[in-house]
Amino acid sequence: MDDFAPYALQLFSGLSRAMVLFLLSAGLSLIFGVMNILNFAHATLWLVSGYVTFSIFAFLSQQFGASPWLLVPAVAGAVLLMALFGFALERLLIRHTYERELPEQLLLTFALVLILGDMIKLIWGLENRRINLGVQPVEMLGTLVNPYQFVIIGTGVAVAAGLWLFLHRTRLGKIVRAAVYSRNMVSALGIPIPTIYALVFALGVGLAALAGGVFLPLLPMALGVDLDIIVQCFAVVVIGGFGSMLGTFVASIIVGVVYAFSILFWPDGALAMIFLIVIAVLIWRPWGLFGTELRY
Amino acid sequence: MSAQERKWEALIDRLELSRRDFVFGGLAAGALTLTPRFVSAQAGAPYKIGVLLPSTGTGANYMAHTIKGLPGAIAELNKRGGLLGKHPVEMVYRDDETKPDVGAREAKSLILNDKVDAIFGTYSSAVALAIQEIIHEYKVLHFSATSNSSKITQENYTPYTYQFCPDSNMQSGAVVVAVGRMAKKNNWKTFVSLGQDYEWGRDTHKGFTGGLAKIAPQIKETRQLWFKLGETDFTSYITAIMAAKPDFMFGAVAGKDAETFMQQAGQMGLFKRVPFPGGLIAVNDLKAQRKTLPRGIIGLARSPFFAHLKEPIMQAYIKRDRAAFGPDGYPDDWAVMYYDALGGLEQGAKKAGSVKTEAIIKALKGATIDTARGKRTFRDCSNQLDVPSYVGEVWDSPDYPFPIYKPDTMILVEGHDVWTPTCAEVEKLKKKRA
Repeated sequence: MDDFAPYALQLFSGLSRAMVLFLLSAGLSLIFGVMNILNFAHATLWLVSGYVTFSIFAFLSQQFGASPWLLVPAVAGAVLLMALFGFALERLLIRHTYERELPEQLLLTFALVLILGDMIKLIWGLENRRINLGVQPVEMLGTLVNPYQFVIIGTGVAVAAGLWLFLHRTRLGKIVRAAVYSRNMVSALGIPIPTIYALVFALGVGLAALAGGVFLPLLPMALGVDLDIIVQCFAVVVIGGFGSMLGTFVASIIVGVVYAFSILFWPDGALAMIFLIVIAVLIWRPWGLFGTELRY
Repeated sequence: MSAQERKWEALIDRLELSRRDFVFGGLAAGALTLTPRFVSAQAGAPYKIGVLLPSTGTGANYMAHTIKGLPGAIAELNKRGGLLGKHPVEMVYRDDETKPDVGAREAKSLILNDKVDAIFGTYSSAVALAIQEIIHEYKVLHFSATSNSSKITQENYTPYTYQFCPDSNMQSGAVVVAVGRMAKKNNWKTFVSLGQDYEWGRDTHKGFTGGLAKIAPQIKETRQLWFKLGETDFTSYITAIMAAKPDFMFGAVAGKDAETFMQQAGQMGLFKRVPFPGGLIAVNDLKAQRKTLPRGIIGLARSPFFAHLKEPIMQAYIKRDRAAFGPDGYPDDWAVMYYDALGGLEQGAKKAGSVKTEAIIKALKGATIDTARGKRTFRDCSNQLDVPSYVGEVWDSPDYPFPIYKPDTMILVEGHDVWTPTCAEVEKLKKKRA
């Protein structure tokens, strides 16, 4: 058992990392899959969400007294606010780039990164923001772990299941899936694509907000964190396939677990391992493990 | 409060709110250009300082107090008439984003476009090494007070750089002293290292392992873990450290990464299983993590205000910053060191009787200056200020709203006791420059 424990713990930590990546990458993948927009500002919206969650949590704590359970309404509030913000952003800015080339889209979304970064500085200042839930470590396999990681893994799995149900069991979800394969056909059927786009963008930003809120008790929100994490998110969506939720989920687990075990066996090459996988996917299956080769 | 002082207070308030480099730079440069008017009619030309510190990236949280505090410190200097009582000081701020390429670009811009006389910065050693080439080429004074790779004053030595912070060898030496004592007491045999995979992290690790091998060769390093700057999830590193079951761990982790690591490690109970002596825990960490930082943990600091409360310069500085930023506004290590750098500039100019760069560097060579850490002397061969490092146990003090180092556990290791290598060896290390 003792021989097995370090590997089990590394797997556990890898799954925890994987679910954070999944929550963050799901929106990015969905937005690109449906709208063909490579949203470089996705992680910055995630960062803003973390700050918004912090502010709501702080406000609620002042009103009702400190309690870790206040994180639930704080995250829910942030998801709602950020989804609305995402909807407005799509209507006001993003929609103008649909017919533009990829570099122009990247420029616009990168401009958003800078603008939102300035906004964070103006509203929340330079100091890092954190939430302390007062969680105590628990014993597992002879060592200590943070029980909040179970919350992260559970949230990731629940969101994956919820997204699957939404995409496969609801009419709107089926339209979204159809738009991934052929936007022209969906439009020809009389379905208002602009509305679908705005809703998808809002959903993507809402997912980023959920990731920001859920991750807040583990990671102090700080300027620049968004750019640190966006690269790994791109790795996830490239491996999984843009637009594929199953692909994003599986790729998140691959990235999280490979990274965790690389730290155990080859710490200097942990990040290199991830990008070796990305390179392999780009060479042999450029549309990703679960992506679709054909797009109209 | 006079109208001039009110203007300054308003400026500092605005600086606190406006963070982006162009907003910040614009405000600081624009508003501070007004400074000469505040100091009445002066004969001398203004002296321009370019402040190159990050408000973005992993060093941003460490530099926040310095960035918002420096304008006030400069205002205080200008009330005395500025350098030599006749050269009002102006400040131009630039965000180096903790990136060497951005730092080099901004340093060049400060020199060529803003015509600064001196550069105060940087946070990251990688950025410092990058800008030193430009500093040397354009012969501009450079005061470093946070980035502390020993290469800055040794391999990459330039006569234009003065170091106000204990370098990585001095810091590692201080940790070796503390760990040596603890290892003997606890019979430690193995340790694991965790470090930021860049210049400072590698340099600090090298200094520590080299020093420890000399005083306690029986202690073996069983694993090295390096992570990229800006790591957001240390979970897998923490489980890997626990799996190695070391007697203690050594960390070369600073800035935002240190905050993230400490938070996640605390939540996972790492410090209950693995002692972590000598991790960098500066005053800003003590303030920011006041609720979560494990008490009893052994930290390393570079210039904690509470170690020098009897020094008149420190007393005045604390009083001023608390008046400016509220009761919690005690200066952190970085702000103290940059305050000393400003004092060093003032004293260097006074000794030289001139604000010319060549005259100041000549005056400061081997000079003894008054600082918030007492009287300190520059090492002749490297321009490294002889300043101590501090190791101590994190403890709740009844006198402060955040923990400090417990006075009876604090070890103050003087710079000259641990600085390496010898001056003869430093001379050999220095790179040949044109």
